[in-house]
Order: sequence, then structure tokens, then C-alpha cells
Amino acid sequence: MIMRLPRLPIRFVAAALTAVVGITCAGQTASRLPGELAWTIGFDPKTFDPAKVDDQESELVRYLTAGVLLRFNRSTQKVEPQLAEDWSISSSGRTVTFKLRADLEFSDGTRLTAKDAAWSIRRVLLPATGAPVAEEFLSAAGVTVETPDERTVLVHLPRRVIGIGKVFDEIAIEPADRPSEGRLTAGPFVVADYRRSQYVRLRRNPHYSGPDSKEFGLPYATGIRLDILDNHEQEIRLFEHGEYDVIDSLPPDYFSLLKQKAPNTVRDLGPSLNTEQMWFNQAPGAPLPAWEKAWFQNQAFRVAVSRAIHRADLARIAYEGHATPAYSFISPANVAWFDRSLSVPQEDVAAAKAGLAKAGFRLIGGVLTDANGHPVRFSILTNTGNAARFKMATLIQEDLKGIGIQVTVVALDFPALIERMMHTQDYEACLLGLENVDPDPNAMMNVWLSSSPNHQWDPSEKTPATSWEAEIDRAMNMQASSLTDAERKQAVDRVQQIVADQQPFIYLVYPNALIAISPRLKGVQPAVLAPGLVWNVENLRLEGTR
Amino acid sequence: MARGMTMRIPAIRPAAFWSLLALAAIAIGVLALPGRSYSGQDREQLLASASAQHPAGTDALGRDRMVRVSAAFLLSMGGAVMASAAATLAAAGVGTLSAFSPAALGSLAMLACDVFLALPWLFLLMMVRSTLPLTTSPAHSAAITFLILAVVGWPACARAVYRGALELRKSEWMLQARAAGLRDKQIMRHVLPNLTSLLIPQFLICIPAFIIAEANLGALGLGIGEPLPSWGSMLLELDNSPMLMHTAWVYLPIALLILILLLFEGVATKQ
Repeated sequence: MIMRLPRLPIRFVAAALTAVVGITCAGQTASRLPGELAWTIGFDPKTFDPAKVDDQESELVRYLTAGVLLRFNRSTQKVEPQLAEDWSISSSGRTVTFKLRADLEFSDGTRLTAKDAAWSIRRVLLPATGAPVAEEFLSAAGVTVETPDERTVLVHLPRRVIGIGKVFDEIAIEPADRPSEGRLTAGPFVVADYRRSQYVRLRRNPHYSGPDSKEFGLPYATGIRLDILDNHEQEIRLFEHGEYDVIDSLPPDYFSLLKQKAPNTVRDLGPSLNTEQMWFNQAPGAPLPAWEKAWFQNQAFRVAVSRAIHRADLARIAYEGHATPAYSFISPANVAWFDRSLSVPQEDVAAAKAGLAKAGFRLIGGVLTDANGHPVRFSILTNTGNAARFKMATLIQEDLKGIGIQVTVVALDFPALIERMMHTQDYEACLLGLENVDPDPNAMMNVWLSSSPNHQWDPSEKTPATSWEAEIDRAMNMQASSLTDAERKQAVDRVQQIVADQQPFIYLVYPNALIAISPRLKGVQPAVLAPGLVWNVENLRLEGTR
Repeated sequence: MARGMTMRIPAIRPAAFWSLLALAAIAIGVLALPGRSYSGQDREQLLASASAQHPAGTDALGRDRMVRVSAAFLLSMGGAVMASAAATLAAAGVGTLSAFSPAALGSLAMLACDVFLALPWLFLLMMVRSTLPLTTSPAHSAAITFLILAVVGWPACARAVYRGALELRKSEWMLQARAAGLRDKQIMRHVLPNLTSLLIPQFLICIPAFIIAEANLGALGLGIGEPLPSWGSMLLELDNSPMLMHTAWVYLPIALLILILLLFEGVATKQ
């Protein structure tokens, strides 16, 4: 009889096969050219047009190839001139002036003038280009660009934009009327070759005119090969064989594995800017029973749940110690904005039980029930394929059992999860992470403003549902319009304190930035901001090369 | 009673049968030990090696691997036996009734079985699982998983029963019985006992098939919910090479699963 039933699970066979394939493939990667750096990217870049970048891989290629007026130094977290020799913002904050370096050239040797810079800025502002960076000008339509002379560019803004300097880190200066998709650049490298699903090859720009480039002959490397590979097993194996020079964002278990094999190659940089958090669905329109909504909208309930979670265990067990317990949306890695005096509900199971009792919940036979006798049980939704998140959810399940709450852990694939989270609102609690690419809290406006669709616990509120959400709105708007850093810091600190008191997001951990660097690679200055290991790519070189 | 009406029960291999019972007894014994819980997390003993406290070590969350394997074994076997019994009974009913119905009706029933077999059942399972409430408890998720397996597992079995019952219908003793004036009701009483030789192997074959199916669903994240242990969730540990470096006990679930499948194979094989 032939039964129409599934076959034996073969994932373990697949793992073994992957190992074999990995070794076989080691000989199939494009051979490394002398002085060439190599590492991996997970997927094919969606575009090589620097103006249209909206994915991580394309963004990396842009970073490595684009000549920009200003560069945001990932180590000092300060904006520095690159193609610009000097820059300034007017006292009104509405005019930005750039003075270009003398004798700038594109990679084909043609001159780079203010006309090229103005054309490139105007291009990203055009709605037809669809450049995501245009949104950062707040009202791109009102921006005008002037070129009084060959080396001066004036950008007039309709209103002041916080952190405008950083925006120019994302605008590649291309030859006017000759966009080339990275093949003609003013950055350290140019796109030389691309094989779909195999690799992107960049070659050194001999006419690169960045700071110190002429004096030291930067960039040092003759080129870069970015292999397209989304397999940690294979990546680590090839790294060990010397095929790759760096690995960024290692999962904790693979970090430990590599540490055993090659301890001098791996480093834990400490907390990243990213956060992992859980939250309850507080949307009034969610298809949940009224009593569940009442629990989730109850501050005492949220605080009690937060107090019952053993964050140190989450960091130690789910991340093998490579994470830091979190209580705020600002990571300690974000030195400028982290509030060290924040008062947070610390882990305390007795206080959690007392808080719940005060709020009318009762423990009956080890089961927490609300004032109307409904047993407290809910599900935590997370995404499949993230072992650390699933472990955290399972640990929280056990922690909350200690205060009488029965939790079901559900892992869904991302499309199904997003559907529930963003559209049907059919979920009770969710555990996910947030990747912060910009340390400035202004970049988090889309999460904190109550009107935002990304205001996850209650998206797109017409008016703030609670007084504390209204206060968050006010404080976030204040930091976006304040003229002094001190005022901005004060406003952001207030938001941090409201969030700690109200726990709309129950922050769990800041995952650490885990990296691997080949001992052959010189000049690396790891930073937590992307692209963390190669942000100073001009200064990277392999041992034994010039 | 006519000669053809004697019951023919297939022989089973006693050694395999008794081995399975012994394993089940050991698993029950492990679970009955005081202070043992399949969900208890010993957070100071993560991925621990074998010790007196944890004879097969612990998993990444500090849960006793021996207890979890025992619970998964009993849950999987119990669920698969019940699902197989339900599928075999359903197949017996549908197969027999179809065979003794008018030919056109029987063919139509078998056509329905074929259509059912042709359905992309994996996607159906995924759809059914995704429509379940998120708060479905682990115990309910286990029950639903095996129920779904029984629902998708019976048509193939029904086809085999239908063929057997059709042969029975045309057999000499059946003709003799009819010629002797026995009514349909009286004849039907003897049909099922004469199909036992077909139904028992079907039942025994379904058990390992359902065990594998549950393990596969679990590996896809569609099976039994945490913290209830299942073969699928434990086999997922093998998908992670750093885990394989930690301890050889991580291979215990797959070794035991293969052993159990071989024993079921042995049980179902005629001596």
C-alpha cells in the first residue's frame, strides 16, 4: 500500500549535505585576485542605482562605491566631510552649504564639479526617481539646490531637518546626466562585475579623492568580492579556509562554534543598537475578547509581566551570554542618547504578584484569573527561523507560569505574522526585534508617534488613545524641532521614562554585535553601526599586500 | 460455518512486539519518577552531559532529554495508534460498504478516495493549522495533529479494504451463503472478521507512517506546540551544527525514532 504521508524529516541529512556541498563549493567561488578583500552578502542586491537603494545588500554596495559629500563616521558617530572640504548649516537650519575639494575626479578621470553634486541631489529629490532617502528631507518637493560656483553647492530646505548632515551620507554624487549604476563613481570602489546569485565584484577607483586618499594611496585593497551566500555553515567553513576576511552579525551559537575553532578571529563588540521586545495588542479594533483587551490595556498587568521575566536568563540562555538585558529602546551602545538614570521595573516576581493582586487579579489553584473569573492565558507570536527568539518565548512561557499565566508559543512564517500584526490584528502578544540603523532617536519617529502604522501596540491612532501616548507624541515632536541637543536629549529621556513606566513594549535584550575578522585583514576598526566591520573600507588591506 | 469464514489473524514477531512494550514501560517509568517534568527548565544545566540527575543530559533550555524523549515516544505512539485505529475503522467502513453497494456507487466512492488522495495534503494541513486559534493549548494541538493525520490517512487504506471486500463478495463461500438464503445483515456479520487479515496489517502500517508524519510536521513547525515534546521539535536540534558539537546525546531522539520504526516494521511483518 502506498500511503500519501510525509517522508522522514531530512533536515539533518540536509545539514550534512550542506557541509559536503560547502566544501565542494569552496573550489567553486570565483578565485580571489591579488589584494582583493572578500566577504558575503545574504542576497542579490535589488539595484545598483545608488538613488534607489532600499535593501541592505544594495546599501552596502552603495556605501562601498559611492562618493558622498559627507560621511557619517560609524566609530565616532560624527558627520565628517568627504568629497566636501567644508560644510555648514545656516543659523535658521534651512540652508546647507558645501565647499567641494579641489581637483575631484570620477573613476573615469573626468572632473567632478558642483554641477554633478547638484544634479545628484536633485535626482534623489525627484518623485520620479522614487529615492527612499528623499523622505528624510521631510518635504522633498520644497528643496532647492544652487551652484554659485564650480566648488560650492547650496541646499535650501523649506524647514529645518534634524540630522540633515547624515542624509548626505546616503546621496551618491554621480556624473550629471550620466547615472551609471555604480560603474562610474567618486567613491573608493566601482562595480566591475556581477553574476546573479554568485557574486558582485568591485574594483579599486584609481581616481578616488577622499580625505587622505592621495597622501596614502587609498583605498589599499585592489578590489572587493561580495559572494552571495545565505548559509552560516558554509560561510564559516569558507572563512576558516581563508576565503572570506570578515563575518558580520554571527548568530550566538555559530559565534561559540567559531570561537572554539579559531578563538583569535571572533569578537563580541557588546550591545548592538538593536532591541528584542514583546508587546501586547492594545488595538481597540482587534478581534479579541473584551476582557483580554482590558488586561492588555492595563498598565499594572503589563508591568507585572515585565517584572516576571528573567531577562538575564534570556541573555544567558537564548543568546549564550552574547546579549544584554534591555529596559529601553535606546541601547547602551548609543552613548549619546542612552539614559543611565532611567527608573525601570526591575525583575521581581513577588512585586509582580502584588501588582496583579492590586489590579484585581487573583491566583486560584495556581491559575491567575481576572476580577471576572477569566483565567489569564494568551499566546506569544514570533517568527519561524529565529532560534534565539523561539528560545526567549519558551523561557518567558516558563517565567509567566510562575505567576499563574498560561502562555502558548506560536511561530509563524513572516508573511503570516505580518498579516496578523499589520492587517487583521488577530494576535495577543508578539515577540520580535527592531533593527536600528541610525542612533538618532529622530529615526524612531515612525514607531513612537501614535498616528504611525508602525506604532505596533495600537497602530494608526486617529488621536492618542491615552494621555501617556499623547505625551510621547509631544516629546517626540519636541525633539524633532528643538534647536539644542540638550533640549532634544531631555525630550527623548522623557519618552524613555514613559515607556519604562507604561511598558507598551516590554524590552527584553540588546543582542550583542558578534563578528569574525581574519587575522590577515589589517586596519579594521569594528563599530556597531552598519556596515560595522568595513565602514573604513579605504583603510582595509590584507597582510602582505601594499 | 463455511471454510472460508474462518478468521485469519496475521502473525507478529513477538520479539519486536515485546521490545516495543518494554520501551513503553521504560518511558512510563521515566515519566513516573518523582520530580521529573518534560517542561521543567534547569537553567543552570544547559546542554549538560549525562549525569545521575539527567541520564541523557539536557537540551538548550536545560530540560531533561530522557524525560522529553520518553514523553515524545509515548505521545507519538499513543497518538499514532489512536489515529491509525480511527483511520483503519473509517477505511473498513467505507471500503466494505462501497464493495457491497451497487458497482456504480462503489466506483464513485473509490473515485472520491482517489480525489482525496490527490489533494496537496501538506498545504491543507498547513492551512488547517494556521486557522487554529493561536491559544490552542499544546495538548489540543497534539490531538488535532493526530486527528488531521487520521483524516488524511484513511483513503489509501479504504482502497485496499475495498479490493479485499470485493474479492470477498465474489468468493465461493459468499455465493454459497447467498444461495443458502442468508440475508445481507447476516452475511455482513461475517465480512469484517474475514477482512481482519487485511485490516490488522493496514493498522500496523499506519502507525509508523503517522509517527513519521507527526515528526515531519513538527520539524516544519506545524505539529505539537511547546513545551510538549515531539519528535519533530527534537529532530530540529540536528539542524544546528554548533549543537552537534556540544553533545552526542542530541542524536538520541533520531536513534530512538529509527529503532521504533524498525520495531513497528518487525511487528507488522509475518513470521
